[in-house]
Amino acid sequence: MPIINFIIYLLTMIGIYSLLAMSLNFQVGFTGLINFGQVAFFCIGAYTSSLLVVNAGVPVVVAFLVAMALSGIFGYIMSIPTKSLKSDYWAIATLASGEIVRLVALNEAWLTAGPFGVMGIPQILKDLIPKDAYPVFYLLFVIACIIMVYIFLSMLTNSPFGRNLKAIRDEEELCLSLGKDTQKLKLQAMIVAGTVGGLAGSLFAFYIQFISPENFKPIETFLMWAMIIVGGRGNFKGAIIGAVVIQLFNVSTRFLGNYVPLGSDSMAALRMTIIGVLIILFLLFRPEGLIKEKKKVYD
Amino acid sequence: MDIAQILINTLVRAAELSLLAIGLTMVFDILKFANFAHTDYAVLGALFAYVFNRILGLNLFLAIILAAFVTGWVGILIDQAIFKRLRKIGAKPVTLMITSMGTAIALRNLMRLIWTSHTKTYAIPLQKPLEILGARITPLQIGIIVVGLLSMIAFHLLLHRTTFGKALRAISDNSDLANACAIDSEKMIKRMWFLASAYGVIGGSMIAMEHLLYPRLGFDIIIPVFCATILGGIGNPYGAMLGALTLAFAENLILALDLAPLINLGGLFNVGSIQISTGYKPAISFMILIIVLLFKPTGILRKK
Repeated sequence: MPIINFIIYLLTMIGIYSLLAMSLNFQVGFTGLINFGQVAFFCIGAYTSSLLVVNAGVPVVVAFLVAMALSGIFGYIMSIPTKSLKSDYWAIATLASGEIVRLVALNEAWLTAGPFGVMGIPQILKDLIPKDAYPVFYLLFVIACIIMVYIFLSMLTNSPFGRNLKAIRDEEELCLSLGKDTQKLKLQAMIVAGTVGGLAGSLFAFYIQFISPENFKPIETFLMWAMIIVGGRGNFKGAIIGAVVIQLFNVSTRFLGNYVPLGSDSMAALRMTIIGVLIILFLLFRPEGLIKEKKKVYD
Repeated sequence: MDIAQILINTLVRAAELSLLAIGLTMVFDILKFANFAHTDYAVLGALFAYVFNRILGLNLFLAIILAAFVTGWVGILIDQAIFKRLRKIGAKPVTLMITSMGTAIALRNLMRLIWTSHTKTYAIPLQKPLEILGARITPLQIGIIVVGLLSMIAFHLLLHRTTFGKALRAISDNSDLANACAIDSEKMIKRMWFLASAYGVIGGSMIAMEHLLYPRLGFDIIIPVFCATILGGIGNPYGAMLGALTLAFAENLILALDLAPLINLGGLFNVGSIQISTGYKPAISFMILIIVLLFKPTGILRKK
């Protein structure tokens, strides 16, 4: 039944991108950090976990944990040059970091197999799950990860740490004047976001079973941005809804491409043009997104 | 590669980058946001020039002037349709920046839709390079340097000898005071967008002439252009020129450098000549950008 398989594929991809959107939302919506290189976490997570398993034979669980840790560390490193700077500098420096990661994946062939990509990534628990049920199993696995991340991030943003982050977003000077070390808080926020991004990357690699630098182009970052702009920033439901909307559009138009007399390159261009316009329209006419952040009022 | 060649390559690259950096820095100075669509405007203009040059058969020089003019108006139109609305509702500069990123994505892919992803070239006859002090330079490159230099002089005169330039500097210094002095800032902002976009088109076309033209070019040059702008001190047009020159020199020097002595440590190892692999060429300006952000984020020329 190809249609059911397609729906399961779609839902799995929505799930993986929800994690990425939640991670980006944590940076942009809660802390006010403009990250135009979000795809770097995705890339590092995917490459680390798959290379550890394929080349070094490390157990999958360990590979996932190392991938998450490395992405988190990268989040820390990535924000060192800009930790004291304004959002314009964040934007361009993170864009550059994202590209550097992709260039390393493309050029260091001894490690990453360069443009050919990593092949033969094994399926998790392949022997225990019947072949027909595997896609459903993986979807449930992704959903379980989303629930865990959702609970973890919600707890974090409702904690004093999360309130500090929101204070940085709204009034950094005020936050500084209250004696908060805003630079340290920003670095910590990036570590958390990187870890979640790394998890998404690992899930993606073990789902697709083949990754190459082509999967981690800068355009992926802007898909994630479209998700949080459409869905709404400052709450994680918005990120998930945004991922649903954008991925539905993204994947279904790829599917429709078979019926439209346009080449695949033109079709991709048309799709991204519409996403760009969507970003602009939302920022102009509904800047809070589909789901508005509920701001707590303290009396 | 000898030093004369490095200097010539530096001048060519600096001419291209400074034309792009000036527009970016001007928009930042007046409207307080980094316009991520700036290089895409430039590529749009370069593609217009391609149409005028290849399809209508216009002289390349005329084609670029005409394209700069048309794209100047596109810059104004986009501002009226998008950025002006955001200014009116009092959106934060961050929102304007994110919107400019959305604009960049839409514009870049629209260009890809219209002109396809294939690379394009202008109608330029093959040129025999001249030899100056043992370095090679084509007449085209001489033209690029001259046009770059003339544009910088024109910009300086515009900023200091015309009412528009004075008004622009007044808005940059203190926009409320400028408004109180009956300076029509919306009108000046329109002219500023025209100038920024048109200068960008000249720079973008020069890059396209020297290398190749394709719709994604805007993304490929965004980091060097931002790097030049930040290096010079964002918001300062003279800084943009100086930043472009510094970045161009650093890029060419690193490309020409032989890294072997660094690794050999005075005879400890014996490695042959090592140069930056071509795959990492785009990363050079990224690395310079990050070093600048780490050590001198205010740039060489701090604003006023």
